[in-house]
Amino acid sequence: MEKLLLMKATDIHKWYGKIHAVNGVSFTINRGEILGLIGDNGAGKSSLLKVLSGYHHQDKGEIFIEGEKVKITSPADARALGIETVYQERALVDSMSLARNFYMGREPVGHTGFLNKRKMAECIDVLKKIGLYINSPDYLVSNLSGGQRQGVAIGRAMYFKAKLVLLDEPTTALSVKEVHRVLDLVMEFKEANISVIFITHSLQQVYDIADRFLVLENGEKVKDIEKDATSMEELTRAVMGEINA
Amino acid sequence: MNERNYPKVVNIKNKNLFSRIGAIREIIIFVLTIALFIVFFFTTKGIMFSIEALKIIFVAVSELGLAVIGVTMLMISGEFDLSVGSISAMGALVAAKLYQLGLNPFLVLVIALIVGITLGGFNGFITVKFKLPSFIVTLATMIGFRGLIYVITEGVPIGFRVFETHPAFYKFLTGVLGVIPVPLIWLVIITIIIALILNYHKFGNHVFAVGGNKETARAMGINTDKIKIICFMIAGMLSALTGVMRVTRVRSFHSLQGDQIALLAIAAAVIGGTLLTGGMGTIIGAVLGTIVIVLVEYGLIMSGIGAYMYNVVLGGVIIVVVILNNVIGQRRK
Repeated sequence: MEKLLLMKATDIHKWYGKIHAVNGVSFTINRGEILGLIGDNGAGKSSLLKVLSGYHHQDKGEIFIEGEKVKITSPADARALGIETVYQERALVDSMSLARNFYMGREPVGHTGFLNKRKMAECIDVLKKIGLYINSPDYLVSNLSGGQRQGVAIGRAMYFKAKLVLLDEPTTALSVKEVHRVLDLVMEFKEANISVIFITHSLQQVYDIADRFLVLENGEKVKDIEKDATSMEELTRAVMGEINA
Repeated sequence: MNERNYPKVVNIKNKNLFSRIGAIREIIIFVLTIALFIVFFFTTKGIMFSIEALKIIFVAVSELGLAVIGVTMLMISGEFDLSVGSISAMGALVAAKLYQLGLNPFLVLVIALIVGITLGGFNGFITVKFKLPSFIVTLATMIGFRGLIYVITEGVPIGFRVFETHPAFYKFLTGVLGVIPVPLIWLVIITIIIALILNYHKFGNHVFAVGGNKETARAMGINTDKIKIICFMIAGMLSALTGVMRVTRVRSFHSLQGDQIALLAIAAAVIGGTLLTGGMGTIIGAVLGTIVIVLVEYGLIMSGIGAYMYNVVLGGVIIVVVILNNVIGQRRK
């Protein structure tokens, strides 16, 4: 398949006070590509994610989507550009119903802003398509398991036609069985030609599904390599970084 | 891709029942309200069910209830406003002062509402922009706004005798329609509007989201600061409305006016099932909570038990209801 460039980020910097959390990271991601963003705790993965998802604006650097320079200053901007973030802990609001979560921030409404509840009930069918069977849109999200919650967030990203999905440690709190379900869902993104950045500190999980790896350490990019050109051992060494050097 | 084995159906019937927790809380409070009516019917020997007594009770319910609605919506968004009593007094004071200067009372009402929106907006702005707990911010403004009232009035009451000069205004705000007090009509209309917005409007969805989990709401592209500030403004506006309503009815502004409102409003919201932590609550429940609070007060007085017992009983009611809500909340899980 021909590789079409989706996003290009050049020389991204992010400081938090005196901490240089992201230090001149540049990378690209193609359409339908799964990019594993790996690194130890504090390597800058989350900071880079926050820049891409609009939580924090980069202090320096540029981001291009489909060749066009974009400015992502808020999560709303990111979503409007087709960047959907699935956070580990805060993907959904526990105290709210499935439908209210599914359409949060993008509610189907009429001219007066009142919710189209019939339309909102359709989320049940959307989730069925990815194999998640929940029989009421009014079901409280706090009653769902961790894997089901990830499923809802992932279904939401598909439904709203995301171009790029950022998965932040999506499997951390899950049982082994549920991890596999989530990895299956990530493969569905690829089939739908949606790009994925899979952020994790667990190389094992992302190794099987990723096409390419980006390894960060102390805020800097230390490796950017196709899976075909590397090995688990090499990546492990890169993540371990200075310890072995 | 079809061999994933998800559980076919997530839902279990009794789980579904408890997932509609809001409705259950409303039922508890509704039953409590009815029970109180029955108890006080006997202890007051039926006096409480005379038209005159009910009128007094429902005027009190309405004046407190308007503030409760604003406070409840704000609590659902995850914030408090302890200054609603001071804001209501400020609204009343502005109305009384401007009326003294010869302004039409309808115009005066609009200005008072704008003052309420502004003070509420100030609370909200300080809270979200400086990332402070609204409990502290509005504790400060509760004291500060009230202080400002004393600075302006020097403690001297101000007459507001629109009853004589503008009877239409008096009837519009606090008259009686047949046997129904106009404040009650206001309460019903505003309850319906706010309940509709919370449950069926996009804005309401954002209020629940912001209160339920602010970070999630933000990640979903919701402008959480804006939502909270608007809730503060609505609370301020409704407080000012009830302040003007009261000063119109009692025909004189006193600097202490409304100094009980804030804590009673929070109590009403909590009795009605609103979570102190935000994200959950109902307007109908809060209004029923208001009725409970007022019923306890007037029921005890009319029973001849005396006003001194009021706070003791009210305190007990709050604790019992909160325990009930908590027990049910845990059974849900």
